[in-house]
Amino acid sequence: MTDSTAPTFVGNLTPRKRFWATNRGTVIGCSVLIVVAIIIPFTASASMMNVAVFAMIFALPAIGLSLLMGLAGQVSLGQAAFFGIGAYTHAILLTKFDFSGPVAAIAGVLAAMFVALLVGLPLMRLRGHYLALATLGLGFIVMITAREWDFTGRTTGIFGIGRPVVFGIPIDNNGLFFWFVTPFVVLGLIVALNLTHSRAGRALSAVNDSELAAESLGVSTYALRLKVLVLSAGFAGLGGVFYAYQVAIVSPQIAGFNVSVEFLLMVVIGGLGSVWGALAGAFLIEFLGEGMSELIPALIPGATGEVQLLGYGIVLVLVILLLPGGLVQATSALWRWILAKLPPRAVHTLTGDNTKTAINTVVAALPRVSAPLAPGEPILHISGLTMRYGGVVALNSVDLTVPAGTILGLIGPNGAGKTTCFNIISGALAPTSGTVKFLGRTISGRKPHVAASHGLTRTFQNLQIFSSTDVVGNVYMGRYRQGKAGVLRGMLGLQAHEQRANRDVAHDILQSMNLTDVAHEEAGALPFGRQRMMEVCRALAAEPALLLLDEPMAGLSGAERDVLAELLRRLRDAGLTILLVEHDVAQVMSLADHVAVLDDGVLIAHGEPQNVRNDPAVIAAYLGTDVDEADAELTELEGH
Amino acid sequence: MVVDFLQLTVAGLSQGSVYALLAVGLIAVYTVRHIVNIAQGEFAMLAGIGATWLTAAGMPLIVAILVAIFSVILVAIAMERLIIARVKNLTTLFSMIVTLSVSILLQAIMLLVWGPEARGLPRFPGENLLIGGVSIRSQELWMLGALVVVGGGIMLFYEKTRWGKALRACAEQPIAARIVGISPMMASIMAFAIAGFVGAVAGVVSSPIALSLWSGGLLLGLKGFVAAILGGFSSFRAAIVGALLLGVIEAYVAGYVASGLRDGVAFLILILVLTFRTQGLVLKPTAVRV
Repeated sequence: MTDSTAPTFVGNLTPRKRFWATNRGTVIGCSVLIVVAIIIPFTASASMMNVAVFAMIFALPAIGLSLLMGLAGQVSLGQAAFFGIGAYTHAILLTKFDFSGPVAAIAGVLAAMFVALLVGLPLMRLRGHYLALATLGLGFIVMITAREWDFTGRTTGIFGIGRPVVFGIPIDNNGLFFWFVTPFVVLGLIVALNLTHSRAGRALSAVNDSELAAESLGVSTYALRLKVLVLSAGFAGLGGVFYAYQVAIVSPQIAGFNVSVEFLLMVVIGGLGSVWGALAGAFLIEFLGEGMSELIPALIPGATGEVQLLGYGIVLVLVILLLPGGLVQATSALWRWILAKLPPRAVHTLTGDNTKTAINTVVAALPRVSAPLAPGEPILHISGLTMRYGGVVALNSVDLTVPAGTILGLIGPNGAGKTTCFNIISGALAPTSGTVKFLGRTISGRKPHVAASHGLTRTFQNLQIFSSTDVVGNVYMGRYRQGKAGVLRGMLGLQAHEQRANRDVAHDILQSMNLTDVAHEEAGALPFGRQRMMEVCRALAAEPALLLLDEPMAGLSGAERDVLAELLRRLRDAGLTILLVEHDVAQVMSLADHVAVLDDGVLIAHGEPQNVRNDPAVIAAYLGTDVDEADAELTELEGH
Repeated sequence: MVVDFLQLTVAGLSQGSVYALLAVGLIAVYTVRHIVNIAQGEFAMLAGIGATWLTAAGMPLIVAILVAIFSVILVAIAMERLIIARVKNLTTLFSMIVTLSVSILLQAIMLLVWGPEARGLPRFPGENLLIGGVSIRSQELWMLGALVVVGGGIMLFYEKTRWGKALRACAEQPIAARIVGISPMMASIMAFAIAGFVGAVAGVVSSPIALSLWSGGLLLGLKGFVAAILGGFSSFRAAIVGALLLGVIEAYVAGYVASGLRDGVAFLILILVLTFRTQGLVLKPTAVRV
């Protein structure tokens, strides 16, 4: 979590060093965990051992939940439902159908994942609190079904589950069971950590920063989130399988709300979205719960029942108010404190002095673009595009064709409908009527990632940066479309080659825009103009065929404008089609091959810059009704 | 047959009116703060248990009820001031965790202070009615009456009065709300006070029949939530209709199918509504909140 991003570029290292640099945390952490897990059964008391086994079992659903909360940004209040489904399936197959242990276990995990898929298919489309409450409902449904159905043994539940036997050794005490569970938890940790660092994991974290920007780079939020939900349920199902083995009886309350709350508590206390935090949280909550059920009756005479709830409630409230980052936040604060006490080492200081950086107007290496069509052929075709907001007509039957390999400037007074038009083309808005065809395919009314997957990407007037990563991380996200590794490959960590190649490209692109000096700075800390340049880099990293730029010059210095204009010309010559909305009329007139003018949602002119410039309708629309006066003002405007 | 059916309908409507009051409380907070208050049901249980305890200590019924309602309003305001308002980055995810932790805390306090037994208030004064073989208990009339007076009152307050409209505006237009004279802080306090009030009323009127239990609030609050979802989390009317419908369907399932399945119905409806019709029973949705 606090991996210090040293300014060494990972791509320059040898493969072995690179593996170490990217997986250091995982390797060290898992080694320590394995050593501790081997020692614990020899040293812990019998009652401690019992709690430790449950902590290890509950760590699995907690890890799953932390993935869901950290990556998908969603919370499940029914993680126990998947836990229960895993446990019941396993128990029923073992006791009623005499399945072998491994087969029953796999079936248990798959059953949990299948139910998650069924629930997630409709619900992952919704945002906010809906998934939380639907999963909460699912928890009750699973519990009530188990309680009322003869097949699941009603309130008695399923019992008579035999002990597992591994290599002829019956796992019949807590120490052995601890060793039996630990390898699966370690594997689960590795899979989860790999996923957070993978292409899919980075995409999801980008979605949490800016869903619109991530989708415009080709990320299908819905599909990825659904996969994470299913995976998270798989973790819970596996936990349920072990629980059934350990307790040897499965009864309805294991799918109950209190169990879900316990899982949630583990994740929150551990640190939202942190995989290691979930493991630590599992141990903390189990021991806390154990301590509370002894402590509270001693403090408050006559207290009976689930009194540990008081402890849970207090701890949850305190953590959220005082330590919202959980154990992870506490640990990293402690770590920084220790580092500060140590004698100072040579600290890498990043040279972020922007004013002194000589801006080189000569673009070094040109980023690659894709040119699927010969120059001049129509790449984007807009017909009858209309957008109404209630009674307001933002766009009125706009027809426009953009030839490949050209720059089209879209201008117009404020409120003319430029941004609406842009948002429809990029898929962020669905039009009231009319169609947008890109490379012959209709893309209007579909999500932005559909257009992006065909090679259309954009920048934003109101910057949409991924603030949780650095500059190179932002540009690297632009490569999403070029990658292929999915969730499965990400979990197995089999995408180092692909990630490396993409990182190299990201660095090259930064170089072409003079951003190498800030490559490892936090994107949110950059000055406005450079953030804008970074967005252009990010869009170019996608190797688009059509690039939509929404006011790319706003906030740039004169020199930066020149760099960008020169870059855009050269990209155009290389075959890229560019559509830009811009307020800087002079820049548009000098840069664009064609100019289209929108006024009040109507396309009033379209043609070569000179002709549009002298069109009386344009002059009137732009600057008022008096043509002569307007002309004078337009000249003055261009003069700036 | 018909008598049974009508009898179940009456029971369902009276139970539904309790859900409706809770839904009103949930929407009251949601329109102002965009928070789903998972502790809403605990307000009801707290009022029920508290009032029962006060009457057992010798306080007259009406005084006990008023004291209990007033105390719960204070609890709700304390929850807003001491916890909700102090969370720095209140995302949807965090808001759910926070209200959930308050819910757990209130449950634990009720368990420790009053013990694990369910308690019920004495019946409110009034005569039971017998109409065409269908008996209507006076308490059920009190429950329906509470919905009409309190739920209807809150609804009119939000929809018709200047203050109510300003409260609604707070979530969308904080600055506009300030101009009318309501600071976001005041609005938030008022919303929680209203939620505490309707929750407490629901708790005391249902206590003589449904009893009050330290752990009963969560399920009750969730039923209120299902009703609020049926109202698209914005329309009081649709939520009240949805709550009454939910109560009646539950009663039929308990009466004709199996009483154990009663609690599953609400959540089945929840998942079906979220899957097929996010706006719930609202006929003309202004904008689906997603």
